[in-house]
Amino acid sequence: MHTFQDPQFGDKVVTLMAALVLVLQIAMAGQGWIVTNIRIFAAQSLLLAAMAGTIAWFNHATHLYIAAALTLLVKVILVPILLERLVERIDIRREIEPIVNVPLSVLISGGLTLVGYIIAESFQRPQGAGPAALGHNALAVAISLFLIGFFMTINRRKALTQVLALLCLENGLFLAAISLTYGMPLIVELGVLFDVLVAVLVLGILVYRIRETFESMDVSRLRRLRG
Amino acid sequence: MNLPVAVALFRLGLVVYLAGAAAALLAWRRPRAARLAAFGAPVLGGLVQLAASAAALSRASAAVWTLPWGTALFPWTVRLDPLSSYFNLALAFLTVAVSLYSLDYLRDMEENWNLGALGFFYNLLLLSLTLVFTAANAFFFLIAWEVMALAAFCLVAFEHQKEEARSAGVLFLIMSHAGTGMLLAAFLMLATAAGNLNFASFHRLASRLSPVEQGVVFLLFFLGFGVKAGVVPLHIWLPDAHPVAPSNISALMSGIVIKTGIYGMARVFFDFYGAPPLWAGTLVLAAGVVTALVGVLYALMEHDLKRLLAYHSIENIGIILIGFGAALLFRALGHANLAALALVAGLYHTLNHAMFKGLLFLGAGSVLHSTGTRNMEQMGGLIRRMPATALFFLIGAVAISGLPPLNGFVSEWLTYQALLAGFGTTESLTRLVFPIAGSLLALTAALAAACFVKAFAIPFLALPRSDAARSAEEAPLAMQAAMGILAAACIALGLGASWFVKVFDPITEQALGIRISASLQAGRGFALSAGAPHSGTVSTAGIALFLVSLGAAAAYLVSRFARSQRRSTGPVWDCGLPGLTAENEYTATAFSKPLRMIFSVLYRPRREIQAEYEVSPYYPKAIRFESEIEPTFEKHVYGPLKDWILGVAKRMRAIQAGSVHAYLAYIFVTLILLLLFEVRG
Repeated sequence: MHTFQDPQFGDKVVTLMAALVLVLQIAMAGQGWIVTNIRIFAAQSLLLAAMAGTIAWFNHATHLYIAAALTLLVKVILVPILLERLVERIDIRREIEPIVNVPLSVLISGGLTLVGYIIAESFQRPQGAGPAALGHNALAVAISLFLIGFFMTINRRKALTQVLALLCLENGLFLAAISLTYGMPLIVELGVLFDVLVAVLVLGILVYRIRETFESMDVSRLRRLRG
Repeated sequence: MNLPVAVALFRLGLVVYLAGAAAALLAWRRPRAARLAAFGAPVLGGLVQLAASAAALSRASAAVWTLPWGTALFPWTVRLDPLSSYFNLALAFLTVAVSLYSLDYLRDMEENWNLGALGFFYNLLLLSLTLVFTAANAFFFLIAWEVMALAAFCLVAFEHQKEEARSAGVLFLIMSHAGTGMLLAAFLMLATAAGNLNFASFHRLASRLSPVEQGVVFLLFFLGFGVKAGVVPLHIWLPDAHPVAPSNISALMSGIVIKTGIYGMARVFFDFYGAPPLWAGTLVLAAGVVTALVGVLYALMEHDLKRLLAYHSIENIGIILIGFGAALLFRALGHANLAALALVAGLYHTLNHAMFKGLLFLGAGSVLHSTGTRNMEQMGGLIRRMPATALFFLIGAVAISGLPPLNGFVSEWLTYQALLAGFGTTESLTRLVFPIAGSLLALTAALAAACFVKAFAIPFLALPRSDAARSAEEAPLAMQAAMGILAAACIALGLGASWFVKVFDPITEQALGIRISASLQAGRGFALSAGAPHSGTVSTAGIALFLVSLGAAAAYLVSRFARSQRRSTGPVWDCGLPGLTAENEYTATAFSKPLRMIFSVLYRPRREIQAEYEVSPYYPKAIRFESEIEPTFEKHVYGPLKDWILGVAKRMRAIQAGSVHAYLAYIFVTLILLLLFEVRG
């Protein structure tokens, strides 16, 4: 029982989970199917929720439980269902057509992870408080998630997959928040989650509209709007 | 809570402006209600602010108040220190008069204009102006500054159906934003040195920077505020923007909105700087002289009454800057007393200009209201149809021409005194600046007087030149009252000058650490002295008394000795060309011709005459005359600049791929580079 109370042990568990989250992110960057992508996102979000729960348990940050539950509800259940429905409704080809090919995408993601670690390095405090120790690895992963998410928004042609990339990017922010400060104030957390939900709804409509108008979801065609 | 009276009143005034804006929006579909609410409220609000600034000026220390919203890092704090309160005083006084005027002026516009929108932007402008003058930190200041610019833009482009209003509005917006950009850079440089954004911590701060930084900050501030003030060559938006706005708005724009630039300069020059470098003072003085001269020269060539007044605003900004520039020079040379004198001259002229330019624009508005034209060549004889407007316009014209005993004379006289005293302050070559500036200021004043002979005589005297002028009607009562208030202020600020200078004591004490009103008073307070050795003394009250008694004596002599007071009317000598009409009267173009020839280097005039005749050229049937001058600054300064910007923009188009991915990639790469830079650097 003692092991399950020890913050040191919790730190290790969290780091392990963070590594898994990162692996999922890179997998997503290299994945070619939209539905699989959505499921990977759901799995990633599930892991994040679990991380929030773990941190809450080991550090007695009760309000993080609520954040974990909300993440579970919104990002693991609601958003994937909405997105999968959208995929069915607009009846698109199920493949993502990345601009950069898959091997190179994975390579770039690896490079971005490195950048994430370099940046996180500078935040490391001199030996001291617990959160900093917990923070370092998780923060590096969070920054990497953010950067890879950003890279994915650039790398994908279709508006729907860009939405997905944006959600991954948001996951990175969430991870940074829970690992560094044991979560943002609950009201901010609620706002962010609500934002994500609204963003998915709005972008869903937008994606639909873009397809109606241009007979395609390929945002590269928006280029025609140029004067 | 023990709130100072000044702050309580100030707060109330802001609430009244806000209420006016809200009422204007609520009464969107009821023009009458919108007019009464949106322009009645600022009459009250102006009175309250007047009391607030008077209370603040009489206090020993600056009153500070933080608005309840805003964040910890960027508090919305206002500070009613003497300088702020002084400008707020000018604003409040003008607000009362202009709002009163608007109540009647806009009565006929209820059909055509959306008075809800006009009233909303009007109140918003007043609110933001008040906050610009009183904001106590750079962040809040810039917010108020931008709101002011946007509100002013909406008012300038209010008659957006007209092409000229739209293009004037856009030009104003572009110039204004360029200026704000420079201000932002300058404030950031100061904030970096101070560690925060409070004006209080900027006090004397700029002088502790390195000489290069000092110069850059000074130039950025001077250019940034110079755009709003209309300093040549940054003035080109002003003669376009001020006339196209409704006349009540023009009065506010020329009267006080351009003074925000002057306020900013005063704040920077005399609060943020301890003793600015010598070249800075010379630069401001030179800019002032050029601005004054160019302003009046272009004003002389204008036949559009409101454009003429707008050019005179540029001229007066120049005169104010001459005062400020001299003050900066004296400070750099270590003559605190003279610096205070020059500063007082500049600030006094700021208030005076707000009064008489407001008055003149309101007068021009009355003329426009009743004749429907801004072109002076179509007016004439209005003094019979609109005697009250003519009288008030004349008072304004006398004041702006710097004739004794009105207020324009006092402040220009103080400026001269400062410049005359300047020659003896140093042995270096710098001292030559003073007599040169003085003589050019004299030239400006003479040209301004000539210009106002035209601006008064052509519209108001002789016979009407058009049907519109023949059927002109006197302005309604509220408009007359508003002009009367401002005319009274012009007279009071002239006659009571030696008492009014006390107002400047707290300002000069804050800026330079000395009070000089006692040394400015002479002859038991009835005369004004420049306070420097060998300086002049003048009593405006005495001059007024002399003029009145002279007039009374003349009137008595006429009534006593003139046998017949019958007026006889006869034909005019027509040089043998019968059938001359009122349209053949002396025109504004003819009046300004000698000056057009003398200054043809600047104007590069072009004229075209076509005469039709049957028998001999001496008996023409019709003559068509066209004359125009070259817009020098637009053509030779802004033309090349525009071409250059367009050229650069064309080359920049390459990166505007129109692809979302490319834009995302730009952001991404920038982000990564900045992050790595921050980590490594």
